Amino acid sequence: MSIAAQARPFASAGTRIRPRIRTTETALLALVAVTLLVGAASLGATQRLIEAGKAGESLASLDFGAPDPVALVVYLGTIGLVHVAFILAGRRIDQVLLPAVALLGGIGLLLMQRLPQDLVEQEFAGLVLGLGQLQAMWLLIAIAVIGALALGVRSDAWLRNYKYTWAAAGIGLLLLTFVFGSEVNGARLTLSIGPISGQPSELLKVILVVFLAGYLSENRSLLAEESTRLGPLRLPPIPYLAPMGVMWAIALGIVVVQRDLGAALLFFAVFLAMLYVATGRLSYVVGGLILFIAGAFVLYHLFGHVQQRVDNWLDPWADPSGAGFQVVQALYALGRGGLLGMGLGAGLPTIGGRLPVPAVHTDYPLAALGEELGLIGLLAILGLYLVVVERGLRIAAAAHDDFRSILAAGLALVMGIQAFIIAAGNLKLIPLTGITLPLISYGGSSLLANAIVVGLLLALSDRGAGAPAPPRRRRGPIARLRRARA
Amino acid sequence: MDGIVLTLWLVRLLFLALLYVFLFAVVRVLLRDLRVASRGPAELGRLVVVASPRGEPLPGAFFQLDAVTTIGRDVNNSIVVDDPFASADHAVLTFRGRAWYVEDLASTNGTFLNAIAVEGIAEVGFGDELQVGEVRLRLDRGRS
Repeated sequence: MSIAAQARPFASAGTRIRPRIRTTETALLALVAVTLLVGAASLGATQRLIEAGKAGESLASLDFGAPDPVALVVYLGTIGLVHVAFILAGRRIDQVLLPAVALLGGIGLLLMQRLPQDLVEQEFAGLVLGLGQLQAMWLLIAIAVIGALALGVRSDAWLRNYKYTWAAAGIGLLLLTFVFGSEVNGARLTLSIGPISGQPSELLKVILVVFLAGYLSENRSLLAEESTRLGPLRLPPIPYLAPMGVMWAIALGIVVVQRDLGAALLFFAVFLAMLYVATGRLSYVVGGLILFIAGAFVLYHLFGHVQQRVDNWLDPWADPSGAGFQVVQALYALGRGGLLGMGLGAGLPTIGGRLPVPAVHTDYPLAALGEELGLIGLLAILGLYLVVVERGLRIAAAAHDDFRSILAAGLALVMGIQAFIIAAGNLKLIPLTGITLPLISYGGSSLLANAIVVGLLLALSDRGAGAPAPPRRRRGPIARLRRARA
Repeated sequence: MDGIVLTLWLVRLLFLALLYVFLFAVVRVLLRDLRVASRGPAELGRLVVVASPRGEPLPGAFFQLDAVTTIGRDVNNSIVVDDPFASADHAVLTFRGRAWYVEDLASTNGTFLNAIAVEGIAEVGFGDELQVGEVRLRLDRGRS
């Protein structure tokens, strides 16, 4: 036991902020910048070559300029600013998350610049912004949110102490969407309040993780107990099973009312994963899965829209130009991509002025990326999500209490599971109604919610300001004089 | 024209290659991080002194814990709590398998876990607070 030697009051550390160099992050961010610039060059050149081919001209030389250099440079500059802020703040924040997230966001930005710009258009004070510019704008806000949360959140008390308030807010948000939400493509996801419209289910997933982390860390030992016996099953005390039932009901409610299979799957999977992280008992996961399968079976037989989704998934070729159109086109796109892809900007030929894959910018970005970057590119992108999850779980393992630990694991898993679900849906492994691909898909709500996730993870990774460096002995004539006088 | 197509093809491949260079660099960082984390005997946990009206132990100080840590007023305890409400041998903290447990050693005034009296033995989660006499101690995960 080594005691008193290490005993020192906490207050002495960090009274003065000293910048702390972050070599790893600097190097990785430089690599990200180079990668994105090369990607932009490839995209710009391909687009010019295709235009020239259409016009029947032949090019003497190729201009490797980016399609929208300003947006890309501003994006990279903002990330650089956040990086500098981290250095100046002198905290020991995780150094890998920001570069990984920056690369994912950058790939998303390139994709949005490459898609037809009139896919989404919004007008601000007479200025019409296209898809790429809107995405760039949202990305800037998201990066700012990440930086602000990472540096601003010093205490987790506001998350920990108000968990039931958060839960109430979440359920309120869900009910609002149930009642006032507007239906787009057969799913009731969008909530509009005045000029602001957004998809609350994106924000809801963050709230869910915060609530579950608070609840599970408080009742961990009770949940791990086995006091109720039900035949061969041993269960924890009945009152503590209630949240499990509530979660199950919420997931089914989302399927029935919102017709959103993806979000329901995400919420329930995250719930089971966090339950496992907190209690370490596999029987909960098995029980939850059985409940889920039973619920899914009943819903399939009761509701037409679920049946239709599953039928589309089982055999999209039954109606390839109607219900199965999206799935079939996504599969064709992936097939065209092959191993190395067609190159950024070279895929996705428009059919009669329309894109082959509907909702490619929100629900099916992986189909477009698979066509243009190929299997190799897709694997790299999935690898980036794995990196984010690994960092999150490491942060969870190093956190110094249960709440922070479960919260970090939950935040990392919610992003990982969402990426996994949407990837599986795009590749026709599971039936799906759209959720977004974190950090790549177009959309303000999705980018902001994921920025909050990343920002909180960075804040949780903070191991406090480093102890101030020992005062350096001054060299030079004045110091020598002083020493001589003393 | 062919030269142009070839250059473009190389730029495309360069982009894909750079994605993997990034992944490779990240994986190297992660492996180094995991190696550092797995090296050496990690701390099992630490007790942080939250409140101590009499200043022994010092508020804000922390103790790195061994698998068995005794708490009490007697000087032979691992953590000496100089408090009139603490017994000579007050409580013992043990690390068993994956979790910490606290046991009250029949102390006069009792040991409290999150303000609830400990009867017999109780599991202590990281972030929980123990009270011995008037001294409050919080169990934190050890640093790696």
